[in-house]
Amino acid sequence: MMDIKERLGTLKYDVDKEYAHITVDEKICEKCPHHFCVMACPAQCYTLQNGKLIFNYEDCVECGTCSIACDQGSVTWHYPKAGKGVIYKFG
Amino acid sequence: MSDFDAIVVGAGNAGSSAAIYMASKGLNVLLVDRADPPGAKNLSGGVLWGNDLAQILPKWQSEAPLERFINNKKLGFLTEKSSFMLDFKTQIFEENKVGYTVLRSKFDPWLAKKAKEAGALVIPGITVESLAIKDRKVIGIVESGDTITADVTLLAEGVNARLAIEAGLKRPLRDSDVSLGIKEIIKLSPQKIEDRFNLKNNSGVASEYILGFLGELNVGGFLYTNKDSLSLGVVVPMENLRENGITHSYDLIEMFKEHPSIAPLIEGGQVAEYGAHLIPEGGLEMMPKLYGNGYMILGDAAGFAFSNGLVLQGMNYAILSGIKAGETAVEAKLRNNFSEQSLSAYEEKLNSTYVLKDLKTFKDIRKVTNNPMMYNTYPKLLESIMLETLWERGQPKKKIRDVLSSCASNLNMGRIKTLREFYYIYRRM
Repeated sequence: MMDIKERLGTLKYDVDKEYAHITVDEKICEKCPHHFCVMACPAQCYTLQNGKLIFNYEDCVECGTCSIACDQGSVTWHYPKAGKGVIYKFG
Repeated sequence: MSDFDAIVVGAGNAGSSAAIYMASKGLNVLLVDRADPPGAKNLSGGVLWGNDLAQILPKWQSEAPLERFINNKKLGFLTEKSSFMLDFKTQIFEENKVGYTVLRSKFDPWLAKKAKEAGALVIPGITVESLAIKDRKVIGIVESGDTITADVTLLAEGVNARLAIEAGLKRPLRDSDVSLGIKEIIKLSPQKIEDRFNLKNNSGVASEYILGFLGELNVGGFLYTNKDSLSLGVVVPMENLRENGITHSYDLIEMFKEHPSIAPLIEGGQVAEYGAHLIPEGGLEMMPKLYGNGYMILGDAAGFAFSNGLVLQGMNYAILSGIKAGETAVEAKLRNNFSEQSLSAYEEKLNSTYVLKDLKTFKDIRKVTNNPMMYNTYPKLLESIMLETLWERGQPKKKIRDVLSSCASNLNMGRIKTLREFYYIYRRM
């Protein structure tokens, strides 16, 4: 099985280092009973490390899955600013 | 006096089609997209049916960046070790050449360029902050703190319709509204593609699969041929992924690729791009009010997509909704009336096209496409019937009738329940 990190490596991004277009509320995530975001996100932006949810927006493909997957109100979802984020070469 | 007659948010199939139509009829149109080049955030499985595109771009077949025309459609039922394929190939598709595979990062910038050629002002790399609303009327968009006004704003912002949702014009998405599509572009030489898929003269194949080897997961697969690559992916309903709760979505596509009937087709191919996109599959249940004072909602943002297990379409619905919204805007301009009542013509027009007719005809289709039996039982039933009838094992042979009943009972399928199930599917599909 091809590792997801390797597959994400095929993507071109213009990462906005100043602005995270998605943010999570760690206090809410601590109490989350399911952490479904970890399973649902196709870009492995959500991971669990020692039971703690870690979120990175840099690999995000802007699909919107986490905005639905999170039913606890932790995820605040926006599009990246002007032209930033993923740039598909094939789409 | 507004800055523009019309502002279109989103340069996908819906938005660019609307912009082309309106600009070609003389409207002063602004088309904005958050990607640069326009459309570079867009992704779909990749088969475009171009009947509607021909209305606004009659020469699309010779001008558009297309991959291969489809003359072969396949539907496959996969179990752990077997595949059962329906394989339909026809010269009629070859003579008409209406369905093509496309790569959106090539196709969408071309479509946006056509909007520019028609006279629209196209500005890529703009993420609209919010809708400008005054006296309960949408009067344009807000970008970098500035308000740009238009008589009518067309929201073609895609499945994650943030502007419409934040303005209260559409409810937020729920699990039951969407499936998650995950896709890879796999590079392979044209020669290998033509040999492996029995293709020539730029012909192509579009295959859809029911994956019957993933336990309780209801996953569909697709595999389309491009010129020198394959578009391969999986589609899983969000509800079903949540119920399962133990499978990473990004592993599903790898499980599909490893299937014994898929692996040889992609062998030696390099993954050139990975991607994911939500597919609006909620039909009428997720459809927002399509128009109001100063706005219309188009394409994925309106939930216009269709899947019945045999076909998976969205781009054609987007294009046709774009044309109909464009027509409505042009007529509203003649009346100089962009009120809710004036723009209601948009929904009336869609009602007389397949866009809304299909959503109504197939309003219960998800009960079929999300039926667990379709994934965890029927592929196995087909496999066991084929083994019973085709595998010579030195045993006395059975009549088909007896094969069916013994295969069904081995899968704990009672006769009456099974007939009822088939009738249920037959009625809705």
